[in-house]
Amino acid sequence: MNYGYYPGCSLEGISTEYDISMRSLLAALDIAVHEIPDWICCGTLAAPSLSPLLGLATPLWNVLQAKDHGINEVIAPCSECLYHFKRAAQKISDDPKVKMDVAEVLGGQLDELPRSIHPLELLYQPQYETMIKNRLVPERDLADLKAVTYYGCHISRPAAVMEFDEPENPVSMDHLVSWAGVEVLEWKSKVDCCGAHFSLIRPDYIVDLCQKIFAAAVETGADVIVVACPMCHANLDTRQEQIAKQLGVPLDIPVLYFSQVIGYAIGLEVKQLGFEKHIVDPLPLMLEKCHSRKQAALMGVE
Amino acid sequence: MDFRQQIEAISGHNSNVCFQCNKCSSGCPMASKMDLKPAQIMHSIRLGRAAEVLGSDAIWMCVGCETCTARCPQDAHPAGALSAARSLAVRQGFRPSVKEVNIYYKGFIANMRLNGKIHDASVAGMSRLRSGKFLQDLPLAWKLLVRGRIKPPPLPFGGHGFRKLYKKVMVKEEGIPL
Repeated sequence: MNYGYYPGCSLEGISTEYDISMRSLLAALDIAVHEIPDWICCGTLAAPSLSPLLGLATPLWNVLQAKDHGINEVIAPCSECLYHFKRAAQKISDDPKVKMDVAEVLGGQLDELPRSIHPLELLYQPQYETMIKNRLVPERDLADLKAVTYYGCHISRPAAVMEFDEPENPVSMDHLVSWAGVEVLEWKSKVDCCGAHFSLIRPDYIVDLCQKIFAAAVETGADVIVVACPMCHANLDTRQEQIAKQLGVPLDIPVLYFSQVIGYAIGLEVKQLGFEKHIVDPLPLMLEKCHSRKQAALMGVE
Repeated sequence: MDFRQQIEAISGHNSNVCFQCNKCSSGCPMASKMDLKPAQIMHSIRLGRAAEVLGSDAIWMCVGCETCTARCPQDAHPAGALSAARSLAVRQGFRPSVKEVNIYYKGFIANMRLNGKIHDASVAGMSRLRSGKFLQDLPLAWKLLVRGRIKPPPLPFGGHGFRKLYKKVMVKEEGIPL
C-alpha cells in the first residue's frame, strides 16, 4: 500500500505538534508516507459557501494529485479536511452530472480515486494493537493517567459520509489510547462540537461551547483530554484560561493528541512529540504519573 | 426552478421530507445563537421563503458540525441545506448579517488565492484586525509565537493549482461575486 499524507493548513501552523508527533509515530510503526506534492487547502466551509462546485473541486484536486503520484490511500490527520475529501468523493459518485462538472474544471479522470482515511482508521487494526503493546516502555508506564477521549465532529459524523466508527459513541480512539496503557474513562462529551473556526470569528462562542466540555471532563475526573483533530486541540488548549475564568474554576488539563500519547508510551523522544508547544504543558503530569508508578513498583505495591 | 429545488439541487437531498421533529434544532451547538433554528430553516425552505432564509443569521452561524444531518430521521440533510443557502446568498448579493463571518470567509478565500493553502495566523490576524478586535487575542498570539505555533507567512510563489482552478470555476459559474 502506497500511503499519501495530507497535513492540511492547521498542521503547518497552529497544530504543528500534531504533524510532528504523527510523522514520528507513523515512522516508528514502520508506515512510510509520502506527502502529496504541492497540495492545496481543502477549502473547508469557505469554498463551498462561495461556490458548491469550488467546494467539491478543491478537495478533489488534492486527491487527483495523489492519484497521479501513484498513491492508493490518503491519510488526513485533520478531520475537517478528511470530511471534505470524503464528502466530495461521495458527491461525485452519487451524481454523474456533478462528476462531469468537477472533472471539467479539474481537467482529469475522476475514476478510481484513492480513498481518504483518518490515521485512527489506519491504526485501529489488530496488527497495530500487537505492535504498540509489544513496544510499550516500562519507564513510561501511564497506567495511573486517567484520560477522556474527545472526537469532536468529523471523525465519524455523519456516518453516511465518514463510514468509520460510531457517530454518537465512537470507540476507536478509546482502544488506541488504552493500548498505550492509559486508563480511558467514559464521559458524555465525546462528540460535542468545540466551535471550530469560530475561534477566529467569535471567541466568546468558543468559550461557551468548550466550557461544557471542560465541565464534563472535570466531573468525570479526567487528568487529560485526548483528541484527534487540530481544531479541537487549538480551541481546548489555547482558550483554556478564558474558559476557566468563565467556569469559575481553575483549569490545568493538558490536551494531547492520540499520536502524542502513543508515541510517549512507546518511548519516542519528547522532542519528537512536540509537548513544549502546548499552552498547557503536559510533560510535568506525564512524568509525575510515570514516577508514581515506578515508586509503587519499587515498594512492591500493585 | 423554485427556491426549494435550488437548495435541493445543491445539497442533493430532498428537503420536503422534513416532518419537523426538531432533532436538528435540539442537537445544534449553535442553535442558541441563531435567529431561525435549523428546523425553522427547513420549514421556510419548504414554504419557498427565500428572502427569510438567505437573510437569516442562522445560515452563517452554522459551524458545519453535521450533528443535525447525522441525527435527521428523514435524511433531509439540514447541514447541506444551510451550506447551499450560504452559496445562494453569496450569489444573490445578500451580505451575511454577521459581520465577522463575512470578514473571515472573504479573508480565507483571499489567502487561498495567494498561496493555495492558507497561512492560519494571517487569516486569524486579518479577521481580528478587520473586526476591530485585534488587541483581544494579542496575549494569546504572543504565547503561540514563542512556542513556534505561529509560523512566518510563506512567500506567495505557490498555489498555481488553486488559482487556475478558481478561474475555471469562475468562468463555468459565470462569475462569483467576491
